Amino acid sequence: MTKPSPKEIKAMADVAGLPVSADVAARIANSIGPAFEGFAAVAGTLPLDLEPASFLLVQAAKVSK
Amino acid sequence: MTTEPALLSLTEVAQAIAQKRFSSREVTLACLGRVAQWQPRLNAFMAIETDEALAAADAADAALAKGNVSGALHGVPLAHKDMYYEAGKIVTCGSHIRRDFVATTTSTALQRLKDAGTIRLGSLQMAEFAYGPTGHNTHYGPVHNPWGLDRVTGGSSSGSGAAVAARLTFAALGSDTGGSIRMPAHFCGVTGLKTTVGRVSRAGAMPLSQSLDTVGPLARTALDCALLLGLMAGTDPDDPTAVGGPLPDYMAATRESIKGLKIGVPTAFYVDDLDPEVARALDETMTVLKRDGAEIVQVELPDQRQLTAACQLVLAVEAAAFHKRWMIERPQDYGPQVLMRLQNGLAIPGVSYLEAMRWRGAALAAYLAAVAGVDAVIAPVAPVAAPTIAESDVGNSPDAEAVIQRLTRFTRPINYLGLPALAIPSGFTKSGLPVGMQLIGRSFDEAMLLRIGAAFQRATDFHARVPKSA
Repeated sequence: MTKPSPKEIKAMADVAGLPVSADVAARIANSIGPAFEGFAAVAGTLPLDLEPASFLLVQAAKVSK
Repeated sequence: MTTEPALLSLTEVAQAIAQKRFSSREVTLACLGRVAQWQPRLNAFMAIETDEALAAADAADAALAKGNVSGALHGVPLAHKDMYYEAGKIVTCGSHIRRDFVATTTSTALQRLKDAGTIRLGSLQMAEFAYGPTGHNTHYGPVHNPWGLDRVTGGSSSGSGAAVAARLTFAALGSDTGGSIRMPAHFCGVTGLKTTVGRVSRAGAMPLSQSLDTVGPLARTALDCALLLGLMAGTDPDDPTAVGGPLPDYMAATRESIKGLKIGVPTAFYVDDLDPEVARALDETMTVLKRDGAEIVQVELPDQRQLTAACQLVLAVEAAAFHKRWMIERPQDYGPQVLMRLQNGLAIPGVSYLEAMRWRGAALAAYLAAVAGVDAVIAPVAPVAAPTIAESDVGNSPDAEAVIQRLTRFTRPINYLGLPALAIPSGFTKSGLPVGMQLIGRSFDEAMLLRIGAAFQRATDFHARVPKSA
């Protein structure tokens, strides 16, 4: 997963209905870049049979020391 | 025990009112007196409701005289973060946009405390829409730390942290989406409980992130947090995410010894790049816990930086989605930093957001496996004590997000995993600023954290120190 460029962010914001200036797009790219980099090792590696509700199953499981 | 009612803990003052050693009016007047003394310097309150509070106190006293007791907190005055809806009251959410918003419903957490007999002193300051970890607020000004007026309180529950620390209220509701209870607890020297996602109903609490938001108290002691959690926790027809089932006896847990418990200290991440005074507080906290009979063992946790990144992806998207309408219609009414951070959510593809959500269960399972041999984990809340208001006033500058992420790097992984964490006062710097540690537990095991926190507070007095008003 690569972090979006300011140009891509500008296009995404337009699609979302909230256009941003080039300066704001550059600032957003700078702000969220580390999140994309930090998650890069996980992105694109998850198995098919894994959905968000798996969190609730793990949370509810009785785990003790 | 002190004869100054405002200096009592929540459990102590509730007992004192019930036993008629103090009337609710006396207690309420004592709190209002301290509010009058401190508010000009702290800016902790959003609204002060003197007449209504005294009328409610008189009603509580009259009821008690007739033998009618509402509940465990009969006649106790409290104030809460100004994001908990109370029917007929203005709830600003720390924003200009909701400056005149009058709630038509009452939040479940607040209602349960009212049902227990609490009365309302007013409402407390907060970061705009709970989206900021420092305590700055463009619209209403920063909240000042009672331990150093040039210092931040931490946020977003900024007023809650300051007001509890200065003994203006016995406890206060906060909310924790990325650290917003633990940060002010750490910076202000109070006890703060971030609950497990699903432990306390969020109905009627302003949303920021439906996956990460949690409701919890800031108070003077772990015992006080136990009392409040017991009153608020449990299922709620108005919030289908609130988990049912039998609740532990949290108060009983605080009386248990910690002898034989195993407490894990991470080998990395939470111990990296600490300010020396925070590192010293961590060492001294572990020494106290060991002296009380706990065993401290090292634990190797999965990569916490990935959890922090996933947390940022989830929070940015969900917050932007909640605010999209106002971002279109009223962008000029947001503070620059909050608008900037909301805009971040526009740049995260749906697939990336859902990958972060899909990974959450697997990440939690990996974390729980890593801590399978211990009862709780101890870690600093933040790598530093409270920075100054001036140095942390980064607004919407290009490096603002980096500053925010650095401050909250030890809290966000826990939010992503949805785990409970108890922040406890654990020492002071040489310049007199509080330092807090967080005890991190398994899902829904707040009782273990309260047990350890209470034992630590029986052995130390950091939680009992009161900032000087002059």
